[in-house]
Amino acid sequence: MNDLSLMLADVRRGMIPAYVYNDEEVFKLEKEHIFERSWIFLAHESEIPAPGDYVVRRILEDNFIVARDETGEVRVMFNMCLHRGMQICRAELGNASHFRCSYHGWSYRNDGKLVGLPFHNEAYGGEDGFTKNGQSLLPAPSVATFNGLIFVNLDPNAQPFLEFLGDFAYYLDFYTRQSDDGVEVRGPQRWRVKSNWKIGAENAAGDSYHTPQTHRSVVEIGLFREPTGAKRKEGALYWCDKGGGTTYKLPPGTFRERLRYVGYNDEMIDRMERTWSSEQQRLISEDGFMISAATLFPTFSLVHNWPKVDANADDDEVVPFITMRVWQPISATETEILSWFIVDKNASEEFKEASYKGYLMCFGSTGMFEQDDVENWVSITSLAGGSMARRLLLNSRMGLTSTDKPLNKPLADFHGPGLAYVGYGEFNQRALLKEWADCIEKPLDQKVQLVMGEKVAAADSKGGGR
Amino acid sequence: MATLRMDTTGLKPLSFADPRHHEAHQFLVDESYLLDAQLYDEWLENLSDDIHYLVPVRVTTARSSEFDTSPGMAHFDDDLYSLKLRVARFATEHAWTEDPPSRLRHYITNVRSFETETPAELFVQSAVLLFRSRGDNREPNFISATREDILRREAGMLKLAKRLVIMDESVVRMQNLAIFL
Repeated sequence: MNDLSLMLADVRRGMIPAYVYNDEEVFKLEKEHIFERSWIFLAHESEIPAPGDYVVRRILEDNFIVARDETGEVRVMFNMCLHRGMQICRAELGNASHFRCSYHGWSYRNDGKLVGLPFHNEAYGGEDGFTKNGQSLLPAPSVATFNGLIFVNLDPNAQPFLEFLGDFAYYLDFYTRQSDDGVEVRGPQRWRVKSNWKIGAENAAGDSYHTPQTHRSVVEIGLFREPTGAKRKEGALYWCDKGGGTTYKLPPGTFRERLRYVGYNDEMIDRMERTWSSEQQRLISEDGFMISAATLFPTFSLVHNWPKVDANADDDEVVPFITMRVWQPISATETEILSWFIVDKNASEEFKEASYKGYLMCFGSTGMFEQDDVENWVSITSLAGGSMARRLLLNSRMGLTSTDKPLNKPLADFHGPGLAYVGYGEFNQRALLKEWADCIEKPLDQKVQLVMGEKVAAADSKGGGR
Repeated sequence: MATLRMDTTGLKPLSFADPRHHEAHQFLVDESYLLDAQLYDEWLENLSDDIHYLVPVRVTTARSSEFDTSPGMAHFDDDLYSLKLRVARFATEHAWTEDPPSRLRHYITNVRSFETETPAELFVQSAVLLFRSRGDNREPNFISATREDILRREAGMLKLAKRLVIMDESVVRMQNLAIFL
C-alpha cells in the first residue's frame, strides 16, 4: 500500500488509486475497520418462518446460526462450540430444536442455551468446574431487524441500526415493504467471482452510466426497454445518509399509471398506496422517478427492474422484480455474491412466479444483465494488482467541475431525503468510498474477550469479560 | 419439501446393449458437441417446445433433511422462450461475458437410461463435468453435476423435454453461468 493518508485524500477527492481494488494491506484494514464494526445483512425473517428454522451465514470468517427459537424470537449465534471451538451447525439451512456438537457432544437449544454437557459431574465436578447454567452460544454482538431484514454488527457498541440507516429507510421501503405484511424472499444463489467487493457495491450505488454500454445486449434482444443512454441520464441519483441509488424517469402519469407502466397490477398498487407515506408516493407521482439499483454501505445492494417476461406479451407488458444481494468479501480479489429474490408477501402466486422468472432472466448467477457486469469487474480486479495500477488514479469525478461544483444543480423539488441529481455522475460512488475512507481512518476500539464457564467470570452477568 | 430427483423405483432400466440406450447416449454426446462449440441455435432445435430446463440451487443440509436444494430458488428455471432469449443475447455483438468466447468442454459419463410409462419418453441420468476457460491466463473453472433428462421421440427424433441439473457444489465457483449444462 502507498501512504495511507495520501490514499484516503485521493479517494475523498474522487481520484481512486486503482490498487485499492486489489491489495492485501487494504483488505486487512477493511476487515478490522469496516467488517468488524459495520451493519452487515445476514438473512431475511421469511427465510426462517417457523420455530426451529435456521440458516447459517457469515461475516468474513465469522459463522453465525440465524435461528427462530421456540418462542418465535430470531437469534443470531456464533456457530462455535464453547468447549473446543468446533462448528456446531454444519448445514446451511434446516429445522432443529437443538444443535449438538459433533466433537464431544455438547448440545445447545435453538435459542443458544447450553443444555447438554456429557459427563458434567465426572469431567468437571459439575457446576464447580464448569458453570453450565446460564451459558449460551455467543450471541452476535449487535443485531437489528428492519422490514424483516436481519442485520448484524460485530461491534457490541455499534451505532444503533436505525440511526445508522437514517433516512435511507425511505428508499428501502420501496424494495422491502410494498404491503404491511412485508416481503418474502427466495434464495440465495451463491457464487464466487474474482472481483473486489467494492466494485459491485459502487456499481449498484450509482453507476447509471455503465448501463447503455455494459447492458446493450439486453435491449437488443427486447428483454428490457429502459437502459438506453437517453433513458438512463434522465434518472435521478440520490445519496442519503449511508446509502444511495439510481432511478429511472417515468413517462407522465399518476402514481397508479406510473406503477402500471413498470408492471404492477392494481391490487398491488392499492396496497402500496396504503403502505407508503405520502412523501414516499410523491417520489413517483410528482417527481416521476422509479427506484432502480441501490447500495447501503458497505455490502448490501438492491435492484428493481421490469423486463418483458412473457413470450406472448407485447412490448409494453413488463413484470417488475426485486433482488437484494450481499457482496461478501472472501479476499482482496474474490467476492462471494449472495443474491435473493424478493416479492411482496401478498402478491398473487401468478405475479410471484412471473416476477421470479424475470429475476432469473436478468440478475443473479444466470442473469443476462449480471453476466456482463461480472466479466468487467473480474478484469478490473486482476489488473489492479499490478505495478502500473499503483501509479494510476482512476477518475471517479463524473458530474463535478474542476472546482468541485456539480455540473447540474441538485434537485430542488425532489421528495426523497438526501441529495439528488439528474444526469450522469459518480456522486454515489464517491459518497460510498468517502464512507469507506472515514471507516478506515477511524481508530479501532479495544476488543473485549469473553470467558466461558469459568467460575470467576460467572459472577458477571453475561459470562464475563476481561 | 422433498428431493427434486426422480424416484426410479419401478422404472425399468435399459441394458447398455439396448438400441434405445445407444440412441439416448448418442443424443447426449451430440448435444455436448453443440454446447462445447456454442452452436446454440442448433442446440435449441434439440429441445421440445415445452422444455423445462431447471438447475436448482444446491444446498448443504443434514442427512436427515428430506431436501438438498434451495426451496424455490434456482439458477435456471427456463422455458423455450427464456432459453431462446439467452441464445439470442449471445448472438449480439455486446454479450461481453462470452466475447472473447469461453473454451468449453462438457464431459458426459455415467449414462443410465430407463423406460418410462410413456412409450415415447426415456428417462436418462448422466453426469456432466464442465470445464470452462476464459482469457489467456485466468484459472479455469469446473462445474460437476448430475442430470436427469426426459428425452421424448417427436416426429422420429429425440428431443430434450425436461432437464434437471443437480450441481455438486452449493457455492458456484464460476463468475457466472453464461453456459448451459
